[in-house]
Amino acid sequence: MKIVGLESLVFGVDDVAGASRFLVDYGLAPVGVSDRGGRFEAMDGTAVVIARQDDPALPRPPVPGCRLRKTVMGVADEATLGAIVAELRRDREVRRLADGSIESIDDSGFVIGFQLTARKPFVLAGEISNAPGGVVFRPINSLGVPPPGSVIRPRSLSHVVYFVPDVVKAEAFYVNRLGFRCTDRFTGTGPFLQPGGSLDHHTHFLIGAPPQMHGVEHFTFHFGGPSEMISNGYRFVEKGYQAFWGPGRHILGSNWFWYFNSPFGCHIEMDADMDQHDASWQPREATASADNSQAFLLKMRKKWYPGPGIHENGDYA
Amino acid sequence: MATTHEAGLAALLRLCRADEIGEAQSRGFDPDDEGQDSLFVVRWQGQLHGWRNACPHIDGAPMAWRRDAYLNAEGTRIVCHAHGAEFVPDTGLCVQGPCRGERLSRLELVVIDGELFVTS
Ligand code: FES
Ligand SMILES: [Fe+2]
Repeated sequence: MKIVGLESLVFGVDDVAGASRFLVDYGLAPVGVSDRGGRFEAMDGTAVVIARQDDPALPRPPVPGCRLRKTVMGVADEATLGAIVAELRRDREVRRLADGSIESIDDSGFVIGFQLTARKPFVLAGEISNAPGGVVFRPINSLGVPPPGSVIRPRSLSHVVYFVPDVVKAEAFYVNRLGFRCTDRFTGTGPFLQPGGSLDHHTHFLIGAPPQMHGVEHFTFHFGGPSEMISNGYRFVEKGYQAFWGPGRHILGSNWFWYFNSPFGCHIEMDADMDQHDASWQPREATASADNSQAFLLKMRKKWYPGPGIHENGDYA
Repeated sequence: MATTHEAGLAALLRLCRADEIGEAQSRGFDPDDEGQDSLFVVRWQGQLHGWRNACPHIDGAPMAWRRDAYLNAEGTRIVCHAHGAEFVPDTGLCVQGPCRGERLSRLELVVIDGELFVTS
């Protein structure tokens, strides 16, 4: 099955204006946004969609309190869409929606949708590091640091992380029914999952958790590279948003990360430079711990260099 | 010799004017200059309540999603915007989410001549 990845995540919120501002400040582009909600797109058109939590058009959440209402995945072709319908109809309802997409539910109660992918292809070099002896270099006279005021935009919806009450059952659904592969695993916690039409280390990560945690841990978009991502996070903090963990770099997946609180009842991440794997990759298994989840963690410090408001020898406080 | 009143004042940290926090509003404070708000105050049914900015789910986890934004839109619940835990504003009891049944830690507030202080 050629599922290419996440297409959109749909949330029901209690403050459309606040959530809209949050997503725009994160870097997403508003499309058709009103006081009832709308779409917020990355460069390839993948998106977060928000609506008022009492909007009757929203699917039901897996549990009360979870603000994620639907996870929409993109597929490469009609054949895949047909195969998913046939597979899921064996034991559950699959609805065809007016827009041609299909809607059903996974084994953890999350409403899922599938549509022909509408991802807009684009070509824009990612971050390139100059290194002695290297093969690929940045163009001469081009700069590595995003200039102040430059526009930084998320490129593509990357992954979603679910808390699920039965992680074995949850994984089996994605692997056995939808053709996902486990790329790596945290023992006793859960698997990183890659769909058949993607090379990304993961588009889904499942965490086994007690029932009162059932819901979403985080979701994230890919940025163009660590410098862009961290600059964007730094600007986000300066706008008054609350960082939670990061910036740092994960071990499994190698992606740079920075997590923030959000008005969606879960974290939002910014990520960059995730590993890609094909079917020849052998999944690793590690114990979830502080040491195994981050290669390193950087600490935010507003200013160090001596100058106005800073000690003449620099700020070591 | 210090009077009782002065000794009391010495143990208080000023936050703001009490009337700067309106009904169903919240505000974070960083009285020790840690670079992150260590406590927040909400006004609920007229009364001010002070809480450590530390979610019981993951101890020490900061709770707002934006500076001063600790409440849901209606102002009826304190929300931890890490995983959505919801708390009753005047008791600090978690009524929904990962730490259901646990409580926020309360900080004692004092209002003197309209100025809001937290006891340190
Ligand atoms: S840290 Fe507050 S709900 Fe998880
Ligand atoms: Fe992540």
